[in-house]
Amino acid sequence: VSSDIFNLHELEFQRIQAILAKMQKELRADLVLLISRSGQPMVISGPAKNIDCTALSSLAAANLAATDGLANIVGEREFSVLIHQGRQRSLYISDLLKRFSLVLVFDASASSGLVRYKCKRTTLLLEDVIRDFQRRIEKTASDIDTPQFSDEELEELLGR
Amino acid sequence: LTFINYVAREINCKIVYYGPGLGGKTTNLQYIYQITSAENKGKLISLATETERTLFFDFLPIDLGQIRGFQTRFHLYTVPGQVFYDSSRKLILKGVDGVVFVADSQEERMDANLESVSNLTQNLKEQGFDIIKIPYVLQLNKRDLPNIVPAEELKQQLLVKQEPVIEAVATQGVGVLTSLKAVARQVLIELRKSA
Repeated sequence: VSSDIFNLHELEFQRIQAILAKMQKELRADLVLLISRSGQPMVISGPAKNIDCTALSSLAAANLAATDGLANIVGEREFSVLIHQGRQRSLYISDLLKRFSLVLVFDASASSGLVRYKCKRTTLLLEDVIRDFQRRIEKTASDIDTPQFSDEELEELLGR
Repeated sequence: LTFINYVAREINCKIVYYGPGLGGKTTNLQYIYQITSAENKGKLISLATETERTLFFDFLPIDLGQIRGFQTRFHLYTVPGQVFYDSSRKLILKGVDGVVFVADSQEERMDANLESVSNLTQNLKEQGFDIIKIPYVLQLNKRDLPNIVPAEELKQQLLVKQEPVIEAVATQGVGVLTSLKAVARQVLIELRKSA
């Protein structure tokens, strides 16, 4: 398989965003993101406008992947949760079904126990949404509705 | 992982620049960063050592334009070329959609090129990809230097399939955009096929 495609439609987007927004409000977090394990931001919720979400997603995915090596050294298959404690802001990164990751930027003074609890609960909810979505795709193969563009449109985009 | 966001109308793809150390992978990204307008690019992130060698990766998100009302967003990564950073290279290939192999045309780097192609083939396999099937471009870089191997000989040694071959001088931008567009074209064609 050379390319693995994930299509995010309105229905899933709204369900995921509602889950992220709820957690963001409950924890008064600066930012909550669902990202792909390849480092792309997928759904974002939160008021922190000054954070570069594209760069954050790329580095968070790399961070999570890099700790696999550390985990192996101590006999674990992986570390599924990472927490970075800062002076003003802290960062929580966790695995989600091996394909995605939940990233939370939160006030460093927040209770880390509460953050862990809420993130774990949110992860389970997100897993349900994604599993539902995958089941739906398996039932209706027609759901793989990638944009159909012509060769001319492709040449127009990339230049001759 | 090609991620199509129907809400934001975006197609997101991941391209990895692979090749031996000091071959010009980071230079490719730096040139693309320089010539891309501010509204079509994000920050260029380089996780480098004090001697400017890539430690983990470079990362540059760029927009190539719209197709069928979808913004095409390419996330460009380089890998560290040095032999001992193999773990980093494996991680960066996670979810890759296309690869540009940046070969160093200098005679003394031929062995390093061959070793890197072999390493790429193996690392792709470990991530569940087949180099024969993945969108792939061979860039022959540093064509301006005096001690280079003829392009035909490089092709004989380094071609893994009928991939596009582009001669380049990344420091001057020659062949850089052509390579990017060649891999982007293959990625988008693969995407269209999957429907």
